[in-house]
Amino acid sequence: MAKVILTVDDSASVRQMVHFTLCDAGYTVVQAVDGQDALTKLTGSIDLIITDLNMPNMDGIGLIRSVRSNPAYKGLPIVMLTTESQAERKQEGKAAGATGWMVKPFTTQQILAVVKKVLG
Amino acid sequence: MDKYKQAFLEEAGETLCELEAALLELDQNREDREVVGRAFRALHTIKGSGAMFGFDDIAAFTHNLESAFDHLRTGQLAVSADLISLALAAGDQIKTMLDEAAGVGAADHSRAMGILAELRDLTGEEVRYHPVPGPVVPETAPSGPQGVWRIHFRPASDVLLNGTNPLLLLRELGQLGRIQITVDVGGIPPLSELDAERCYLGWDIVLTTPSGLEAIRDVFIFIEDNCELSIEPVFEPAAPSATQAVQPKENPPPAPVAGASNIRVSAEKLDQLINLVGELVTVQARMSELAARRDDPEIQAVAEEIERLAAGLRDNSISVRMLPLKNTFERFRRLVHDLSIELHKDVELRIEGADTELDKTVIDQLNDPLVHLIRNSMDHGIETPDARRAAGKPPTAKIRLAAIHSGANVLIRISDDGRGLDAEAVRTRAIERGLIDAAARLSEAEVFSLIFTPGFSTARTITGVSGRGVGMDVVRRNVEALHGSIEISSQPGVGLTVSLRLPLTLAIIDGLLIRVGQAHFVLPLANSLECVELTSADVREAHGNHIAKVRGEIIPYIRLSEYFQMDNAPPEREQIMVVETDQGRYGFVVDEVLGDHQTVIKNLGKLYRNVQAVSGATILGNGTVALILDPHRLVQHALSTVSKGKPLAARGGRHSKSNGNTQSKGTTSYGTQRK
Repeated sequence: MAKVILTVDDSASVRQMVHFTLCDAGYTVVQAVDGQDALTKLTGSIDLIITDLNMPNMDGIGLIRSVRSNPAYKGLPIVMLTTESQAERKQEGKAAGATGWMVKPFTTQQILAVVKKVLG
Repeated sequence: MDKYKQAFLEEAGETLCELEAALLELDQNREDREVVGRAFRALHTIKGSGAMFGFDDIAAFTHNLESAFDHLRTGQLAVSADLISLALAAGDQIKTMLDEAAGVGAADHSRAMGILAELRDLTGEEVRYHPVPGPVVPETAPSGPQGVWRIHFRPASDVLLNGTNPLLLLRELGQLGRIQITVDVGGIPPLSELDAERCYLGWDIVLTTPSGLEAIRDVFIFIEDNCELSIEPVFEPAAPSATQAVQPKENPPPAPVAGASNIRVSAEKLDQLINLVGELVTVQARMSELAARRDDPEIQAVAEEIERLAAGLRDNSISVRMLPLKNTFERFRRLVHDLSIELHKDVELRIEGADTELDKTVIDQLNDPLVHLIRNSMDHGIETPDARRAAGKPPTAKIRLAAIHSGANVLIRISDDGRGLDAEAVRTRAIERGLIDAAARLSEAEVFSLIFTPGFSTARTITGVSGRGVGMDVVRRNVEALHGSIEISSQPGVGLTVSLRLPLTLAIIDGLLIRVGQAHFVLPLANSLECVELTSADVREAHGNHIAKVRGEIIPYIRLSEYFQMDNAPPEREQIMVVETDQGRYGFVVDEVLGDHQTVIKNLGKLYRNVQAVSGATILGNGTVALILDPHRLVQHALSTVSKGKPLAARGGRHSKSNGNTQSKGTTSYGTQRK
């Protein structure tokens, strides 16, 4: 069974890049445009969430907190996307329960490396 | 990576529009943190994805603005008019940089420097404009002299709750070289105290690898501050160098693609789709007709099924082309903002009904006429704040841009509360210019429509914004090219409203098939109200006038066989199609009403561009061509033929939209004249 990855970003181009990269590598990808959207799509078996931090409606931090407060997804790996200027946000994300992070800009190889790292 | 670039460029364009909208909103309400957040996010997105897709200059430039807006967000900096203007200019600069990246024009980088210098003066922050470092080259496993490392690793007990799987880390470490792992179970508590969600283990590892300390540290990067970790060299190679990619690549099994919520499709492909659906609908009509003739229930069942599917396909593919007017409308905020500065007028733009959807082709061609109308309002309609105060109006003028659905049409109204249009002045001007006869008696609507005549302008001064009297005729031409109509109403001193009526789509319409003599016509169903018989009693009672009584209402009618000058004997029973037009309700007398017909609109071609009453043609099931009637213009044209027949001054009736009685008078003259 292919692993299912939920990618959350308000930027369609980033979502698309992540989507294609992961699909090419054989993962199943579900897309969400913001935290709220992601929560509605967080059903059944999701193996990993990759989320942006700055998003309308519900940002990445809020999403991570909500996911962690759901017993069913307590140990779900979550990778957040940050930029180099967001050191505090990264700390905030880690405190909220993010598993790891990726610094934007990133390459397709980097996505795969990080996914492999947390998903095996 | 190139295939993502196009997506990025399109998206960045949209994000810029959002940024602009946010900035203009911020200009209205400087305290709104939510809007600052929106602007910040837009900048953040442009910067983040810009860097990702290799547009380093855009990312670097945007970075400075992003930090300025970050300060706005945190309250370290206050919103000012200068900052907003500067941010708008910066948005324009990003736009030119994007255009350059898309291969259109060249961006002026000295302008970028200028904007950043101003930004620095404004915020007191250092700016930088050299590309931010691009993506780091992915690590490659060095093969070289082997080193031996002793690693002690004990994650914090809550590590599992963060989604970290220590086992994966050990496996990843194992891929660096030869590995020996000893597990330390000393931390496991008695069973009664054991929490299954916690990790109590530690590991001692001996790793033989060509990789250096950095590569080993990287394995633990996500949890390095959440674990006990020591990495000591037992034996370190002298020169760990020579990079060579040898990492074995595992290929996970291919998986089905799932959950793409949006895809971008080129407009050209959509047009092709619509064309094909059009062909299909035509063929399906033919199929239905054949099936009806065969009298074979099986074929009829299939034909009906196909008809149902074709209708669904048609509706679906049309809805794909529908876009909300929002983007087009929101763009005018910027126009109004810029113009009000340029003209020293205080104007507030109100947008209503921006969710109204229209065919993309219609929207694309709507921009220019709207820009023109808004410029006109700003320049000629709206007074300076002083003049407004003197006239007892609030100094801030309002322009309203509103869209609503109305049948198969969308009505767009642009109204301002400026000085309005003086019908008498327009009339005088038209007489000066020799457009009408001095003795002509025209209704107000007719007077105002003179504005659309080429070469007409009432503006006293010519400004940089508009003037010279070109334009309104072009606006009308543009709108009519979209099968739309345009109308002006105004009250001097109070304001002016321009109404545009546009069809929802240019591709396919629901029509009513009618027959006059040997010819078939299609009447848009959206305009058709009802169909009644024209009895001989009606004709007798009207005393030779073309008037019929339908449910107590007097309906003037046009005999299509007369209008199209077809000499055929009318059948014993004629039908009147009652249609709603801009001029009010009219009846079209036809020989027979055949039924509804899904009509794929084909253009008539250049040669027939000036044909008034016909908006296109369609191909019927049996292969013959039917003309599609444009009821508005047919009635208009029929009325104007009457006007031309007699001198204008001699016309007895005025027809206005609202008054049913005067309307029929106007048409009565048409009827009697024809008789």
